[in-house]
Amino acid sequence: MLASFFIFMTSCQSAQELKSEQYFVEGYQLYTTHCSNCHQADGKGMSNLYPPINGSAALADKAFLACIIQNGMTDKIKVGGRDFNRPMPPNKKLTDIEIAEIVSFVTMKWKKDSTFTDIETVQAALKNCKVY
Amino acid sequence: MMKLNACFSNLLAFGLILFTFSNCGNSERKLPILGERDWTKKTVDGKEVVDTVYNTIPPFSFVDQKGDTITEKVVENKIYVTDFFFTTCPTICPVMKREMIKVYNAYKGNPEVMILSHSIDPEHDTPQVLNTYAKDLGVEGNQWLFLTGQKEKIYEIGQNSYMSTAKEDKTADGGYIHSGAFILVDKDKHVRGMYDGTTDEGTQKLIADIETLLSEYKK
Repeated sequence: MLASFFIFMTSCQSAQELKSEQYFVEGYQLYTTHCSNCHQADGKGMSNLYPPINGSAALADKAFLACIIQNGMTDKIKVGGRDFNRPMPPNKKLTDIEIAEIVSFVTMKWKKDSTFTDIETVQAALKNCKVY
Repeated sequence: MMKLNACFSNLLAFGLILFTFSNCGNSERKLPILGERDWTKKTVDGKEVVDTVYNTIPPFSFVDQKGDTITEKVVENKIYVTDFFFTTCPTICPVMKREMIKVYNAYKGNPEVMILSHSIDPEHDTPQVLNTYAKDLGVEGNQWLFLTGQKEKIYEIGQNSYMSTAKEDKTADGGYIHSGAFILVDKDKHVRGMYDGTTDEGTQKLIADIETLLSEYKK
């Protein structure tokens, strides 16, 4: 009984790990295609034109991340004490799962989140987006 | 005698090879002149000779990020690198600017080298917008100019003279399509090279070719 529980736990754990890895890899591809032109491959942004993601406080707010990835933003944003006020274009073609993968990638890569961000979290966030 | 002759000719051949080699080494590599060329016939000393007319950048008049009118006079006796972009471009422009920064840093302060970046969205990219953009990019001074002006004129010089695609296309991300090329122009306004401005490889080749071109003028 205890043994089967143990097996269940470990298999569950590795399924979770597998999914995290999957989201990270997919997210990396999507990030490279849709984000890295401006935010750069290392996530450090570009001079005072495009803000860094790596090191940004916004990484703690997954709902905000999901919303601006989908809808873009026009308001200014302060990152690391610097003001950025260039509009970010929307990415209307990205699906919920793709946004979840990008959010997973950036938070795991630059905030050291241990697991992925699931679609449900993204879908809930997208229903309640403000205009940023 | 025969033997001596053979020896002599061997020496001659060897000398010739050596001469050829050293000649090769001495004559600097030259960049090609790109673009369509034309021929004209003219009469020199009563003889008809054919003269090649190379693709030449025509006179232009645009406005830079400080609001000053910029004509071809600004690049008089200079070589320059040029490209086409727009400030709200989400695709290749940020990459091109990241690469162009490398060229800018490599030749900062060199009075023989300039950079001219043309906006293909002049309605949005006013001198003020370009000025903010340049500052945010970290560009100061007059060595790298961001040009705006009459849209038709910008497209015309882009397509016809710099051989670079630049036009409106509503279906493209951002609304415009343009090539990611960096174009190298010499002091006689001839295009001497075109490079992929979206890769480090292309940019490094450009920097190497700028060296080659500059050395053409060191006499």
